[in-house]
Amino acid sequence: MARALPKEWDIELSFAGNGQEALDAIHEGKGDILFLDLTMPVLDGYGVLEAIRAQDLPTMVIVVSGDIQPEARERVRGLGALEFIKKPITTDKINEILTAYGIIA
Amino acid sequence: MSDNELVLNEELRDVYQEVTNVAMGQAADSLARLLDVFVVLPIPNVNILEAGELQMALQSASDNESVSAVCQGFIGKGVAGEALLIFNDSSFHDIAKLMKYEGEIDDAVQLELEMDIASILIGAFLNGLAEQLDMSFSQGHPVVLGQHCDISDLISANSTRWNKVLTLEINYTIKDHNINCDLLLLFSDDSIDRLNEIASYLLE
Repeated sequence: MARALPKEWDIELSFAGNGQEALDAIHEGKGDILFLDLTMPVLDGYGVLEAIRAQDLPTMVIVVSGDIQPEARERVRGLGALEFIKKPITTDKINEILTAYGIIA
Repeated sequence: MSDNELVLNEELRDVYQEVTNVAMGQAADSLARLLDVFVVLPIPNVNILEAGELQMALQSASDNESVSAVCQGFIGKGVAGEALLIFNDSSFHDIAKLMKYEGEIDDAVQLELEMDIASILIGAFLNGLAEQLDMSFSQGHPVVLGQHCDISDLISANSTRWNKVLTLEINYTIKDHNINCDLLLLFSDDSIDRLNEIASYLLE
């Protein structure tokens, strides 16, 4: 995932091993943009999206998942994710989405 | 071959975890379309196990229920493996319903249902795996390992030719239905080095 991010993108990157660590990182201000997997131990991606919504946390969520069932995409959109990217991820796809949201020029 | 060579380093484990994740998603999507359901995706287990450990891992997955299983061999680019699909026997009632099968669900019907689902899940998983690793697999014919048996019988009866195996394990369940199956990909010890080599290209 990290290898697919645009090289010239000036950001500080933090990694979370599970959903709870991701929420902790957002609370610490380390997650303006969150690339979120769905299958994770402790707290899965759906749980993270629910928590972000319930606590109104300031982060933009882009789900990155191998779950290509249409229902998975609908569920995460319904829970407030901006975008859904299918794994395996490519730099082109990330660039396209970051550009579409005006995050990179 | 020394034991050391057969331990997965963290980078390779991550690669296998990711390729399994993608392939299991593609297989789940095929099954979801066939049955018109939502397949719940687990965290896949990636391990190098001894045959004895494999038996223990399977036993915990089956929840001590009786199971039915088929396996299918595959080979490609110097890598040989077996795919196993193990169903909890209690799954067949709902599977038959979803496949719109009416009538008595006897052993022959259960076998047919299991073969249908095995061919979809195993075929789609192997395609997904091969695509990511830039290879292709030839599949053998599916073989029935057993019906209504204890999982320990399945493995002990067949494990003599295995020493160490790389296992990719996915426990699929289906939302709102009582269906539970375990998809296992087993790679024999003489294939692990070659597969590691192929998988390590993804790290570059």
